[in-house]
Amino acid sequence: MTDLLERLRRGPCLLLDGGFGSELIARGLEAGASPDRWTLERPADVLGVHRAYVEAGSEAIHANTFGANRARLERHGLAGRIEEINHAAVRLAREAGAPYVFADIGPSGEHLPPVGRANLDEWRGAFEEQGRILADTGVDAFHVETMTDLREGLTALESLRRAAPKIPVLVSLTFERKKRGFFTLMGDPLLGSLTRLRDAGAAAVGANCTLASGDMRDLAREALASTDALLAFQPNAGTPVLAGGRTTYAQSPGEFAEDLAPLAITPRVAALGGCCGTDPRFIRALRARMSRPAAVPA
Amino acid sequence: MPPLDYAPLSKAVIDGDVEESARLARAWVAAGGDPLQAVEQGFSEGIRRVGELWEEGEYFLPELVQGADAMKAALEALRPWLGARSNAGHGRGCVVIGTVEGDLHDIGKSLVATMLSAYGFEVHDLGSDVSVARFVEEARRHAADIVAASALLTTTMVIQRELAAAIQAAGLPRSPRILIGGAPTTVAWAEEIGALHAENAMRAVAVAEGALR
Repeated sequence: MTDLLERLRRGPCLLLDGGFGSELIARGLEAGASPDRWTLERPADVLGVHRAYVEAGSEAIHANTFGANRARLERHGLAGRIEEINHAAVRLAREAGAPYVFADIGPSGEHLPPVGRANLDEWRGAFEEQGRILADTGVDAFHVETMTDLREGLTALESLRRAAPKIPVLVSLTFERKKRGFFTLMGDPLLGSLTRLRDAGAAAVGANCTLASGDMRDLAREALASTDALLAFQPNAGTPVLAGGRTTYAQSPGEFAEDLAPLAITPRVAALGGCCGTDPRFIRALRARMSRPAAVPA
Repeated sequence: MPPLDYAPLSKAVIDGDVEESARLARAWVAAGGDPLQAVEQGFSEGIRRVGELWEEGEYFLPELVQGADAMKAALEALRPWLGARSNAGHGRGCVVIGTVEGDLHDIGKSLVATMLSAYGFEVHDLGSDVSVARFVEEARRHAADIVAASALLTTTMVIQRELAAAIQAAGLPRSPRILIGGAPTTVAWAEEIGALHAENAMRAVAVAEGALR
């Protein structure tokens, strides 16, 4: 198997997985319940989601560790089981047989003032602890995702690198489309933010969540024109809508694949996948549109 | 009387300067100025502009929260005088607000609470993951005019329907209106369950004002 950093640098574009929480919900996870608890109590379902993605063509899958930092686990009374949860989540992802397993690192759940009451030390503590716990699990990378504050993304990146210097860190921020371009909720602009993360040592940088594939494609074009970093993109399947008591997303797998496929053959787009509402059908559709590694002429 | 220059009052809110807002408010009444006019023509203008800048994409969440905090500081400083003069500033109505049960999303709801409070509503923020029973109990206790419920997930959005039905069935003192919001919610959904809808914090203020007019 190719070394991950080599693969990110040289391509072909790495196919990631899609939405995870939405897939657990489809298997019966109740609203507001902790996906992390399922790692302990419903491991077969967690493994089932991973396997479905691997069968659809995902080469790198995210372990179910997005919410497995102390601050978030505390809300569900699970902080005492933080090691067990992180270790078991990586084992389940490994078991699914993907070539690469990424530890998924989500936000702490608390913002800096004036919006929230967090401080940098709390953030550092949370990410370093999760990084140390995951350091010897054999994950191929950390993927910091869904960060709406560049400062939290940078703090996570620095803390993880301190905790596990040998493991590459990818960082994806969440951007909204505004009149003047793409910005995070806290007002961090796309262009400067990606460069800052690259300079701070991220192996690849990018965007996930909130935007549907069409907007994400536009974001990718702006990013490609303005930074020489390796890039990763994971759009949503459009906006969730409730119809007849069931949640559906506005976009079809075909549209999603259509928007993303051109990026897959663009140099420096190192990884593509999906976020909320995307399921294995989306990944399969994208796989079908991407040239497979084996099909690339030597 | 001081010269009627409201611009510094507005500016303090636009700049999100909490201390300056409170200081200007106290100086205004100390110099014999009308506290109600300070709110209506000074500080409120500032928060209105902050809202516009946010909607235009010039301001982001931190600036919006900071502006609202400055507005609240001014109202707080003026409260003794406003209370003596009239109910203005805190007489706009009482809102009980929270994110529905099973949903931990807090930012949007807190922002609506902050803006309503900055506009002079009496706001009781119940936090996130709030049960229908607790909404009803708190609405009764505070004699709420509006019960506002946020849901960020399609799976928790259905609880807004339960809440609307429970509030209507509870026979509360002021027959509160129900205001809903959150990413998956729509005007059509609000109409279906007999509620008002706001797509963001600025709209929530306008809808709440309209509902109580």
